[in-house]
Amino acid sequence: MTDSEIKIKSNNLNVYYGEKQALFNINLDIYNKEVTALIGPSGCGKSTFIRCINRMNDVIDICKIDGSITIDNEEIIDKNLDVVSLREKIGMVFQKPNPFPKSIYDNIAYGPTIHGLAENKTEMDQIVENSLKKAALWNEVKDRLNEPGTGLSGGQQQRLCIARAISVNPQVILMDEPCSALDPIATAKIEELIDELKKSYTIVIVTHSMAQAVRVSQRTGFFHLGKIIEVDTTEKIFKNPGNKMTQDYITGRFG
Amino acid sequence: MNKEQRLKKRHNAEKRFRLYGLASILLAIFFVFFLLNAIFSKGSGAFLKTTIDVEINFNADTLELSQQPTKDDIENADYYDLSIDNILNVKSVNGLDEEKSLINLFSPDYEYEIRAFLINNPSFINQTKVLKLTASDDFDQLHKGNYPRHLPEERRRISDFQLNLYDELVNEGKVDKIFNSYLFTKGDSRNPELAGIGGALVGSFFTIVITLLLSFPIAIAASIYLEEFAPKNKITDFIEININNLAAVPSIVFGLLGLGILLATFNLPRSTPLVAGITLALMTLPRIIIPCRASLKAVPPSIREGALAIGASKVQSVMHHVVPLAIPGTLSGTIIGLAQALGETAPLILIGMVAFVVDIPSIPTDPSASLPVQVYLWSEQAERGFVEKTSATIMVLLSFLITLNFIAVYLRQKFERKW
Repeated sequence: MTDSEIKIKSNNLNVYYGEKQALFNINLDIYNKEVTALIGPSGCGKSTFIRCINRMNDVIDICKIDGSITIDNEEIIDKNLDVVSLREKIGMVFQKPNPFPKSIYDNIAYGPTIHGLAENKTEMDQIVENSLKKAALWNEVKDRLNEPGTGLSGGQQQRLCIARAISVNPQVILMDEPCSALDPIATAKIEELIDELKKSYTIVIVTHSMAQAVRVSQRTGFFHLGKIIEVDTTEKIFKNPGNKMTQDYITGRFG
Repeated sequence: MNKEQRLKKRHNAEKRFRLYGLASILLAIFFVFFLLNAIFSKGSGAFLKTTIDVEINFNADTLELSQQPTKDDIENADYYDLSIDNILNVKSVNGLDEEKSLINLFSPDYEYEIRAFLINNPSFINQTKVLKLTASDDFDQLHKGNYPRHLPEERRRISDFQLNLYDELVNEGKVDKIFNSYLFTKGDSRNPELAGIGGALVGSFFTIVITLLLSFPIAIAASIYLEEFAPKNKITDFIEININNLAAVPSIVFGLLGLGILLATFNLPRSTPLVAGITLALMTLPRIIIPCRASLKAVPPSIREGALAIGASKVQSVMHHVVPLAIPGTLSGTIIGLAQALGETAPLILIGMVAFVVDIPSIPTDPSASLPVQVYLWSEQAERGFVEKTSATIMVLLSFLITLNFIAVYLRQKFERKW
């Protein structure tokens, strides 16, 4: 697969929460080993969309999905699909850092343990070290792996969550406003990390910060009221948007 | 009203409000103090018993024993004559009436006390030993200062002759107050000085263990299923409403249930810890399910999402992450539920635990008493000895309840997590 190939393809995706329709006919392509940013005002369906990709909406009883999302041409919106192996392939980082109330080591080791990725303790140590290194957290925590993950600072917690997500070798990482609870310095670190991670992973990031979208993404999709208004390269969206609404949003006239 | 007046009014309102709160807390403390004082002042006497020193000569001939008796011989010997002979030697008395008066200073169990001593110390055959024999209830109370000895003789059960005997014994230093081990080792009795809560303690213990074994696993499984797995629909709503209603059902209704189903339909043995345990388990179930569900609900959804997103299955996310975090709340809820069950009286009365049971149960299907019912039974007795026994039992019951609640609070605070 080359880098410009489509990794995830959404086709006429409609999502309903009970009577209310949250997404309307979403057609969106996400390219391999690129950062795709999803922007738009609150409640426009960006989070709903990325939670469809790893089927996290399954936990909401009233949520109904129709249409199609494929990853490497395999259908995701399929009742018979095993969500566990899907989520092994597609990791997720949440808005608020949510490390498990366990040690830093156990936070990372949990995923590889349940998926049986390590044969023995040495392999597990290696996975933990690699994941923490990839998440640029190793140097800060290598001496206190047995301390609780909840004792780290907010930015460190979020990088711990990223390390946890990459510990099971996913192909895609979904990030749902990963910096909205962090200060600018921690945000900068996460953004640097995203830049680094895109070499190995396909990343979809939901963000409220236009500046962040410009800094980290190669491609941007603009959502409004459950519809996708415009998708293009980030450069084009921010320099020369094709849609008046996009232009109004990115220039801060609404949203 | 100008600004200053409004300010003053507001400050006064705040002061008044604080005062109301302070007053109600002081009132509550006063009542608790009053209650504890009443129980302690009445009940503390029951932990001591009055004894009278009697020199016993374990004469082998009187016991009709050979000079080298076997253990069986000692156990089966007739101690009545030996007991009477030795007791009558305490004071010189003439005539049957006076002899009877002297013997009545002692609890009717003197014969067994003497026998028990010899069984434990067979080497005392043909030797003498001063034993502390338990005094009868009236003299026990007299010695503790609870007996109205100033009343005219015809209004007392203790005769003037007996009073004299007692006073002489006291002067000779033969009357003593020692720790009342009977209180904890004996079952119920018609004689207050011989009555103990041993049977009730064992009965309550069996009952609580059965309640715990039945209600804890069912309650945990039910709460985990309802909170984590059950779809939210009309049926689960209905179940939820009913659990809340069941927790508020008066406990006596569960007693009726036990009576109607366990005793009448399934013919389980009456007044046993088994039936009591099952009945109380039914009563305790909703009271454990509610705090369990609350503590499961208190685990933030972000933990579940984190586990699911890394690829844990639903069961894994619940068992690896949610349940361990909910354990402290679950345990403290269970302990509080058990403490309530331990103090429950009404349902036990209905399933026949008010029966007069002397023997200490050895298995849960033996008829038995339980602590709260023992309180209820003794509180109806007229003898002064039972009044202090009632309060003493309350003290024991309260100390168990306070211990359980303390453990629950400790667990909650020790393992309380901040997310």
